[in-house]
Amino acid sequence: MTIGSQVKQSLASVKSIEAILSSLTVQSEDKTAKKAFDESRVLAARVAEDLQKRVGELEREEAQYKGF
Amino acid sequence: MPEWLDIVVRSLLFLIVLFLVTKWLGKKQISQLSFFEYVTGITIGSIAGEVAMGLENNIFYGIIGIVIFSAVPLLINIVSLKNKKIRDFVEGNGTIFIKNGKVMEDNLKKEKYSTDELLELLRKRNVFQVADVEFALLEPTGDLSVLLKKEKQPLTASDLGLPVAPIKEPQTVIMDGEILDEPLSTIGLNRNWLKGELSKLGVAIENVFLGQVDGNGQLTVDLFDDKIEVAAPQEKPLLLANIKKCQADLELFALSTTSAAAKEMYGRNARKMDELLQIVSPYLKD
Repeated sequence: MTIGSQVKQSLASVKSIEAILSSLTVQSEDKTAKKAFDESRVLAARVAEDLQKRVGELEREEAQYKGF
Repeated sequence: MPEWLDIVVRSLLFLIVLFLVTKWLGKKQISQLSFFEYVTGITIGSIAGEVAMGLENNIFYGIIGIVIFSAVPLLINIVSLKNKKIRDFVEGNGTIFIKNGKVMEDNLKKEKYSTDELLELLRKRNVFQVADVEFALLEPTGDLSVLLKKEKQPLTASDLGLPVAPIKEPQTVIMDGEILDEPLSTIGLNRNWLKGELSKLGVAIENVFLGQVDGNGQLTVDLFDDKIEVAAPQEKPLLLANIKKCQADLELFALSTTSAAAKEMYGRNARKMDELLQIVSPYLKD
């Protein structure tokens, strides 16, 4: 597995974490729990953003592995 | 009227009267009887029994007796709610049996409790050694309240400085295979959500004996068919594991990349994931 595909996999995981966290934000009743889930969702979103950029860079470097 | 019919009428009448009187007196009558309430309770019962069976007694005299025996304690109750002195006089005070870890022998004697009885009361509270007790008080109801020494008290999360998620009462949303809409809407969920969760668990609603939703919206069910194993909720442990894995992956990328900028970016994001883990882990652990 190339680094490119590994980073893509991580990106997918982070996105799924972000999605689950946002559904937990909606579902939890308690205000502090809601806040904690929301804060961590924002963090996950930032990580996903950075990884997305890195995936773009890697795709430019290894054009043969260009995916979606 | 034949005598047996008279007894039937009287019994039914006093059942109703007793029912109304006990409703009127409230829950306190059952849960914590003071000596006074204990005596009036017995008296009300025996008046009712006496009049129901003794045909020569007038029914209305019986009812008058019951009303007085319930109204006076009720009045005293109301007055004692307002006035601490009357409350202490009517309901009695607690007596301190153990203070600063030392047994108050004089108080024991005053309440006519022997050492054995004190030990028995302590054992009922799961205390087998008097030395473990900081403070113990005999309540007016005859119960012993015990405060253990700090080092003998069970360990709590705040002792350990452990962050814990707040807890909300669970709601029962399915009973005997029927969806209860009211508790469901109390927590802001609906039937569609519940059906989705049930299909995630792979069970039919008719098969659910009891279903509860905890404060974080996690559904747990008990089935009629006990041969079927219901999977424990997986979402949160899985999420926790995924976060940990991503964090470790990012660190690995940071180590393996040759580009300095990428190294810095991975390192920063690994720290972000770590921060995220710190925030949510109390909420994801059961």
